[in-house]
Amino acid sequence: MRLGVMLAGLIVGCGTLVAQMGSLDAPAAKPKQYVVFAAEPQTLKAGAKSVVELHFRVMDGFHVNSHTPKSELLIPTQVTFKPADGVKAGAAEYPAGTSYSFSFDPSEKLDVYSGEFTVKLPVVAEAGQHTVDGVLRYQACDHAACYPPKSLPVQVVFTAK
Amino acid sequence: MKRSALFLGLIVVGISMLLWAGWHNLRERKLAMQKAQQNRVELIPDKAGQGGQSTVEGEEPHLRGKAAPGFALVSLDGKKVSLSDYKGRPVLVNFWATWCGPCKVEMPWFEEFRKQYAGQGFEILGLADDVDAGKDAIAKVAHKTGVSYPILLTDGKVQTAYGGLDVLPMSFYVDKNGLVVEVTAGLGTKDEIEANIKKTIASGTAAGPTKQIAGGL
Repeated sequence: MRLGVMLAGLIVGCGTLVAQMGSLDAPAAKPKQYVVFAAEPQTLKAGAKSVVELHFRVMDGFHVNSHTPKSELLIPTQVTFKPADGVKAGAAEYPAGTSYSFSFDPSEKLDVYSGEFTVKLPVVAEAGQHTVDGVLRYQACDHAACYPPKSLPVQVVFTAK
Repeated sequence: MKRSALFLGLIVVGISMLLWAGWHNLRERKLAMQKAQQNRVELIPDKAGQGGQSTVEGEEPHLRGKAAPGFALVSLDGKKVSLSDYKGRPVLVNFWATWCGPCKVEMPWFEEFRKQYAGQGFEILGLADDVDAGKDAIAKVAHKTGVSYPILLTDGKVQTAYGGLDVLPMSFYVDKNGLVVEVTAGLGTKDEIEANIKKTIASGTAAGPTKQIAGGL
């Protein structure tokens, strides 16, 4: 009987502890982003010209300017990379944008990315595992509002064999 | 002995189920939180029955009904302009940026309403959020949109005072007593903007003694 009471107490204690887990490890607030980076480890040939792909996705309902927007006033989407040991990187290659107009101003044609887009980074890498850090800078809008320019840190991990 | 082992086994199963339930609950909460974060910004009607005013949920600052934060900024033509200069007049404080398409759509409407309601003392202050674009670029866009109301260069502090401005355009309708009567985020229709201007002009008309305004208004 005594054993039963003790075990019952233990169960209640465990349950309470588990129920609290969610609040103990609640994530810290992060800045709002409208683009997400899909980090995918890649393998390429060591010492040879290769291409590392960076896959991004613009959140549904939003768009960002392409790398070559049609106005100098618009902020282009651009990735900058930090130098990494054993990696020679070339200039990033951006996809063409798609034409977009706000419904309230159909005459002004914009060049944007929406949905998924891929940036290609030409590299020549020594054998081994490499990590290249970079930052995607972009400026997003939806159909009736725009959001201040954002910086999204990216980390590209690949193995050269 | 056999009965105790069975009892102990049941207890172990019970604890395991509780742990699993806790873990599952935690995972569900995390997923729900992620989903809520992703969907946090969406255009919704401001108020039911008001014709679907475009505002951005969660981005409207908490200033409605409060005193408009005071500011003193430099205009494009180099003059110092304070909100307190417009004490006793209804003012629309509009934040915009050169890279903001929707902002440039409503600016000519503002100019039109400014002329239309000038007789009631109505004024507009356009606060350029992206000072880093340079005065020339800001002036070029202002000229292109045809606005003649004061365009002020922000200092970073005014954006903070007005709630951080995570979305543009953002407009604060300030009545003659210096109270914020309406806040809109995102592009609304021309009719909605005019309705807000009328509301701002009407507000405080029969308010009696002028209320004390924070920030120097």
